[in-house]
Amino acid sequence: MEAAKSIVRIRGVHKYFTRGSEQVDVLKDLSLDVPEGEFLGLMGPSGSGKTTLLNLIAGLDRPSEGEVWVGGQLISRMSEGRLARWRTRHIGFVFQFYHLLPVLTAYENVELPLLLLPLSGAERKRQVLTALELVGLENRMRHRPGQLSGGQQQRVGIARAIVTDPTLIVADEPTGDLDAKSAEEILDLLGELRRSLEKTILLVTHDARAARRADRVVHLEKGQLVENEDADEDVRMA
Amino acid sequence: MKFCLLIVKNLRRNVLRTLLTALGTMVLVFVVTLVWSILFFLDEVTREKSHNLKAIVTERWQIPSQMPFAYAQTLCEGAARQPGDARPTDSATWQFFAGTLDPAKRAAEDFIVAFAMEPRKLATMMDELEDLKGAQAAELQDNIHRMELQKSAILMGRDRLAKINKRVGDTITLHGINYRDINLECEIVGSFPPGRYDANTVINRDYLNDALDDYARKHNGKQHAMTSKTLNLVWLKIPDKETFSKIAQQITTSPLYASPAVKCETLSSGVTSFLESYRDLLWGMRWVLCPAILVTLSLVISNAISISVRERRMELAVLKVLGFRPFQLLLLVLGEALLIGVASGLISALATWYVVNEVMGGMKFPIAFFPSFFIPANAIGWGLGIGALTALIGSAMPAWSARTVQVSDVFSKVT
Amino acid sequence: MFADQPLALALPPGSRLPLALAVAALLVAALAVAGSIPIGYNVRNLIVRWRTTLLTALAFTLVVGLMTVMLAFVAGMNHLTEQSGQPGNVIVLSDGATDELFSNLNFVDAGDIERQGGVLRDAAGQPLASREVYIVVTQPVIGPSGETLRRRFSQVRGLDDPAMAGAVHGLELFPGGAWFSQAGVETLPPKENPAGTPAEGADRPAIQAVLGEGAAQQLGAELGKPPLVVGDTFELGMRRWVVVGIMQSTGSTFGSEIWAKRGVVAPLFGKADIYTSIVLRTAGADAARAVSTDLNDHFKKAALAAQPETQYFSKLGETNRQFAVTIAFVTIVMSIGGVFGVMNTMFAAVSQRTKDIGVLRILGFARWQIVISFFLESLFIAVIGGAVGCAVGYLADGVQATSMVSSGQGSGKTITLELLVTNQILMTGMLLALGMGALGGLIPALAAMRLRPLESMR
Repeated sequence: MEAAKSIVRIRGVHKYFTRGSEQVDVLKDLSLDVPEGEFLGLMGPSGSGKTTLLNLIAGLDRPSEGEVWVGGQLISRMSEGRLARWRTRHIGFVFQFYHLLPVLTAYENVELPLLLLPLSGAERKRQVLTALELVGLENRMRHRPGQLSGGQQQRVGIARAIVTDPTLIVADEPTGDLDAKSAEEILDLLGELRRSLEKTILLVTHDARAARRADRVVHLEKGQLVENEDADEDVRMA
Repeated sequence: MKFCLLIVKNLRRNVLRTLLTALGTMVLVFVVTLVWSILFFLDEVTREKSHNLKAIVTERWQIPSQMPFAYAQTLCEGAARQPGDARPTDSATWQFFAGTLDPAKRAAEDFIVAFAMEPRKLATMMDELEDLKGAQAAELQDNIHRMELQKSAILMGRDRLAKINKRVGDTITLHGINYRDINLECEIVGSFPPGRYDANTVINRDYLNDALDDYARKHNGKQHAMTSKTLNLVWLKIPDKETFSKIAQQITTSPLYASPAVKCETLSSGVTSFLESYRDLLWGMRWVLCPAILVTLSLVISNAISISVRERRMELAVLKVLGFRPFQLLLLVLGEALLIGVASGLISALATWYVVNEVMGGMKFPIAFFPSFFIPANAIGWGLGIGALTALIGSAMPAWSARTVQVSDVFSKVT
Repeated sequence: MFADQPLALALPPGSRLPLALAVAALLVAALAVAGSIPIGYNVRNLIVRWRTTLLTALAFTLVVGLMTVMLAFVAGMNHLTEQSGQPGNVIVLSDGATDELFSNLNFVDAGDIERQGGVLRDAAGQPLASREVYIVVTQPVIGPSGETLRRRFSQVRGLDDPAMAGAVHGLELFPGGAWFSQAGVETLPPKENPAGTPAEGADRPAIQAVLGEGAAQQLGAELGKPPLVVGDTFELGMRRWVVVGIMQSTGSTFGSEIWAKRGVVAPLFGKADIYTSIVLRTAGADAARAVSTDLNDHFKKAALAAQPETQYFSKLGETNRQFAVTIAFVTIVMSIGGVFGVMNTMFAAVSQRTKDIGVLRILGFARWQIVISFFLESLFIAVIGGAVGCAVGYLADGVQATSMVSSGQGSGKTITLELLVTNQILMTGMLLALGMGALGGLIPALAAMRLRPLESMR
């Protein structure tokens, strides 16, 4: 499907690490296309190389061979300084354990990435409030993470991920630490954001129910991608 | 025993932290050892001794103490007049001769103060020299012998030699500063063992007295201005306090010493008076500087142990679940602190002892007339003690906190 | 040959300190701005871990506070030795004497020395010159039961003309006192021993004395009384002395001295027919140098050692310099200990906040910005601890202490000094704190930047 622009394009990527005298192949000849606006699920057992793949997409690491394009830019060749700046603007991360800075309020946590952009104080305030409203937490913005429930913390995490209006949102096990009800709410929120803001979402998960929300699911097994067109088939397989 | 192993393993867990704490401890123990060594030495010297004491006889009212040489003979016998009077077991006289090597320039490097005395008395009356043994004692006897044979022979400590850039065997001329117009040509025939006399110079008193007589002869019988002021100090060796009181009484009541009057005091008393001026400084060193360093040391250890306990709360809770009792956890933490403190303190004290005494040849601290200070053997014990004490104080609170770790802490986060 | 420079401590040059501090402050501010990570983040983390922050800051406080007090002591000594000499005075000693104590000038030469060209004259046409005999007397301090507790050294200056001496040395009396009379003695009601028998020397008149403030305090302290005032008596050298005036002498070595009539005191101590020094007043520093050279080279009747008084006192500052070096050594070693302490704290902070660091990196903050954040946190602790240390050290300002100043070549003068906490010292304290914080914080901060973000968070 070439009609939609590919937000993520990975071509012939190998990634190996050397441990002592041994070479460990983590990713082998990997290729992937994520069209704009897609909600993609990425599943795989631990040790399959998910973290390594995320590192590559986020620009935190370089492939041993091959190319990684995100948002039309060849990030596998960028310098570290440029990558840092690029990352702020183009990718939003949501984590399993939220990873909010405990000493900052919800508002300040969401504001953090904006500090790296050349915006005025008023501009920043506007964007932070917008993000918080979108996740429904504007009346809790002065609270610290310690004063919020798991679900609320994750919402702050999502607000932080979208506040810079990124090209791609990567959610790494976002519901892993939540109870069933909160998990549903978070997945609903992600879906809603995708629809209203037309975001591309990459969801990494173990959870088959979460994977069901995705348009498409791919599997990473022993460093290689196996694709299933139909998400439901994965549910049956799991 | 397993307990001790556990302690060691815990310290190895974060080698960096253990190392930093140990280094911090060593550095601070080093400074305390230096300061305490100075105080220790001064305390020793000013401590009143009850047996085998030394007394000094000086002019009663003034410094510098200046007496005619005629006093020497009778003072050396403790001014004993009647058969039953007390006498000192040994005695020595000192005359200070200040001279310069370069009368034109008179730079500080050329300035030398020598004391003139009977060479024999070096081995019997001088602190440290009287205690020499073996090769060093033999060398001293050799030097004394040389000085007795050749009146112009002198001995000079190694630091003083270095300062004037001379070696044993060289000849120098001391142009008198306090003995104006008297110049003594001297040959350096030997030196002193490393220690208290590194900066001193000793000449034969006969040499000086002969020079004074010469002067009178050359000036038609007119005595040198310093002749009536040449004797500065008389040393007496006295067996006990009772004898000292008697001798002091004899000297003070003797009609021989009218003008100038003299006084007799114990050596420790004399040094104490001299140190009066430094009383505040020494007080500050003892009660402000050292405590401050010890507190800082406690803080450093306390900081490190607190961090360590905080990071390990989970494990400590697990230990409790496994059956360890609270006081055992307390001992665990205390044990870690003690190990670091004692080991670091000991190593530091040993290193300080070695470096200062052997490598540096003593600390130079500008107090009174003491040229350098050495680290006593007690310092090893101090290092151990300081390390242990500050470790205990510093780790008291974190150890208590370890004791009170709640078992429920283990479970609350794992849902 | 004659160095008129004021004494310099073993400190960074005073004039450059404000500049150094300003540059440091600017640098810190610049780093904070460039780093982008809000300072509030660091401050709040310090508050959350308040016990550790407190312990670390306390160590800084102790090191800086201690250094401040020690340096204040040396500054007090320096101040004293600098202030004691008048810029226009020339002190004449006998050739070869490094100190007044060892100097012997002939009586007969005094007049000629005073009439030297360049010496100023007073309104009556008399040369502004003070003929002095300096004596150090050892006086036993008697305890309540008659035993000798210890001996003190009293500095006595015998003068022919005290008013002239006061003029030459720039010293005035406190109101209510007077210089001693021509005779220099006065008759007092006889003193009695506790047993009722006349005390030793009771039939001789008391020697009139003018005291420096420090001497008045010392003598009073020995008698268990407040500082002596006009009318009080004391014992010295088997005579009774009576105080007739107190000199305004704080900040000079003369403050520790007892002034009395030369004709009366000098014979008591065997210095009847000599002077130890003659102090001449000239027009200023240059004139002082000129007159000194003149006397040294051209005075034929005797060999003299003349020098500007400021130089004489400057040499007395030799032991000050040695103290300063020792203090610098102790301070540096202590601060090394403190650096290790703060390193521990910062390493722990880094390892405790690896997740925070990971998040910041993922959000796009660069490695160097992470370094700066932790570096600034360390500096923050340093500044707080150091500032409190300076404040604590400042409490020592004005405290009195005795010490000895000496040229290292013989005798020294016992002096009473006031500890002086100068701005220079305070600035040095802050710079030391900053230095410790920077050194201790740099390596942990660098360690912080090396973390791999995603790994630290999974």
